[in-house]
Amino acid sequence: MSDFIRFALVGNPNCGKTSIFNHLTGARAKVANYPGVTVERRLGPITGISENVELVDLPGTYSLHVSSLDEKVARDMILGQLAGEAPPDVLVAVVDATNLRLGLRLVLELEKLGRPMMLALNQVDAAKRRGIKIDTEGLAAAIGIPVIETVALRRQGIAALKDAIAQAAELHKGRTTQVISDDQAQRTESVESLYHRIEGLMNANVEIPADRTNWQDRLDRLVMHPVAGMALLFVVLLTVFQAVFAWATPAVDLIDGGFTGLGELVATTLPDGILKNFIVDGLIAGVGGVVVFLPQIIILFFFILLMEDSGYLTRAAFLLDRPMRGVGLSGRSFIPLLSSFACAVPGIMSTRTVPDPRERAIAIMVAPLMTCSARLPVYTLIIAAFIPNDTVFGFFNLQGLTLFALYIAGIVSAALVAWVLRLRNTREEYPLLLELPAFRWPSAYHLFMGLRERTWVFLRRVGTIILALSVVLWALSTFPAPPVGAVGPAIEYSFAGQIGRFMQPLFEPMGFTWQMCIALIPAMAAREVAVSALATVYAVGGDSVEMALGQTLGSSWGLPVALAYLAWFVYAPQCLATIAVVRRETNSAAATTFFTVYLFGLAYLAAVLTYQIATALLG
Amino acid sequence: MTSITSVSGSDDNALQSSFRTLDQCNKGECLRLQDLVAQPAFGEHDEEVTLRLKELGFLPGTTMTVLGYGFLGRDPISVKVSGTKFALRRTEASKLVVTTLEAQA
Repeated sequence: MSDFIRFALVGNPNCGKTSIFNHLTGARAKVANYPGVTVERRLGPITGISENVELVDLPGTYSLHVSSLDEKVARDMILGQLAGEAPPDVLVAVVDATNLRLGLRLVLELEKLGRPMMLALNQVDAAKRRGIKIDTEGLAAAIGIPVIETVALRRQGIAALKDAIAQAAELHKGRTTQVISDDQAQRTESVESLYHRIEGLMNANVEIPADRTNWQDRLDRLVMHPVAGMALLFVVLLTVFQAVFAWATPAVDLIDGGFTGLGELVATTLPDGILKNFIVDGLIAGVGGVVVFLPQIIILFFFILLMEDSGYLTRAAFLLDRPMRGVGLSGRSFIPLLSSFACAVPGIMSTRTVPDPRERAIAIMVAPLMTCSARLPVYTLIIAAFIPNDTVFGFFNLQGLTLFALYIAGIVSAALVAWVLRLRNTREEYPLLLELPAFRWPSAYHLFMGLRERTWVFLRRVGTIILALSVVLWALSTFPAPPVGAVGPAIEYSFAGQIGRFMQPLFEPMGFTWQMCIALIPAMAAREVAVSALATVYAVGGDSVEMALGQTLGSSWGLPVALAYLAWFVYAPQCLATIAVVRRETNSAAATTFFTVYLFGLAYLAAVLTYQIATALLG
Repeated sequence: MTSITSVSGSDDNALQSSFRTLDQCNKGECLRLQDLVAQPAFGEHDEEVTLRLKELGFLPGTTMTVLGYGFLGRDPISVKVSGTKFALRRTEASKLVVTTLEAQA
């Protein structure tokens, strides 16, 4: 197999494992999924060591007795039971020096497995500041493994850790590593006796001053206050949304302009024909239409990483746990649902940290009801065309209010759907049991590496699934070619056009025209493609497509139809990438079918009701 | 909802003060954990929840402080156990039988 000696980083969540990983592997790490599951696996070679050493970062875990999908992957990796993955030759346990007991508990549990191991005692600076004195050598002698002090955020101790890794690699040469069976991993020691040993270790080697109220506790009193904390959370979330939608605009425009420019360049260089059409309308427009969301995704993830690294995110989960439980979710689902406002795909993927399988299923089902950024172009186009730019109640802009109402419609629907889904389940509870890690300053390097990773994951998906879908949808909208002497736009005669006309009677109750139905087909690749598809079917061209299209729509649709179209987009799973990720995450065809059918059903119902009610009211 | 019949009061303090479960305690209280009891709401996972609580350091004999409560219905509860802060729901908290510690200086 591979001639790399494999080291695995193991530790509690929030112990600084990923920072250490980033420093040891630098920019050469790769993120992929573990085979069969979508838990992300970070892997990279360790540089500056004579042996060929690779390092894998395992999901954070408290115990080998697992309670979530994330923890199960960590356990299976440590034992070597994960199919298609080589067992780790050496374990590098990371322990937060300010949280020794919890970390040492895992270390002593791991030690029983008999794998070679070393310990990185991280955040020793923070421990010193709190007056915690640790006899590192004594600890090393007592446990019988090398212990290296590190401060990952400041790169301290990384060189020493590398030396220890090099030595362990040298020792390992020529040996083979075995898979550990469940029987071998079976625990024989009780938690009580294990903690008894830890107390012994700590009494001999660690001095912890009496716990005094510090700035951390004072900050927590504010941040976790039922009223003040909730108000603060509201302001934080408002700022995040403001940033996602306002700050991203210049970058979005730049990318949009770049792809348009590229399309025009190719259009003028290549001879007319099917190839040019394919490259410009299929590849560049299709992929460009999705890459445009990268700035918003990066900004949202920047804030999520910032909140996560600083320790704030678990406080938010704490505050929101009770309100979310009212609809069958918990504070742990907050993060996946927040991510879904940028894009449901990473949102659904991050539900793997939710331990309760039923809660996880519900979170997956409602994630696409959070208004993702792909809906914005459709919303803005239609709102600008139909809703007057008036001021109501003194200072609210009517267009802004409409957009806000669409967001609220999604959130309220998600709550209702979650509540209904929970009714079907038994009332058996899962614990919250959330560690509230100490607050700390996020490291710029760590943030940068995290964002780089998110970007890479997103772009890779664009390059594979989304690229393939764009090609298929382009083919549907292009073939067969219009007959000689045809007058209408080419898409009218294509498969997509035929399907649109075929679909139209079904969409009659909500007032959709066949043009609107056609636009729904390419919009399956990504919702915002509906805008360019509408431009194509209404044969609008020129420099400011959006303006011209808005005017065309304004004169050809009635307000009830426009509102119904908006209602449709609030619910419809108009996104094959989301459906694909639901299939992979639930690993169930039945769940995926339910997901697709219920969302289309809701969309249909909402659009028909909106159209009928609006028609009745407006005449 | 909570039965404390299985309490094995090993601590002397326990004899003087009355047993309560953590969900009945107030903000700012210092407590000693006496025992972990079954909570039927967790169904067949109950033992796993007990084990996880113990693994996270909720062992009989440990002391803890109630830090505060969540947004609605005083739920969840935040506690500090040997230097580490945790958020527990009332359901988990009702598994933890505690006694009051004499107020620390």
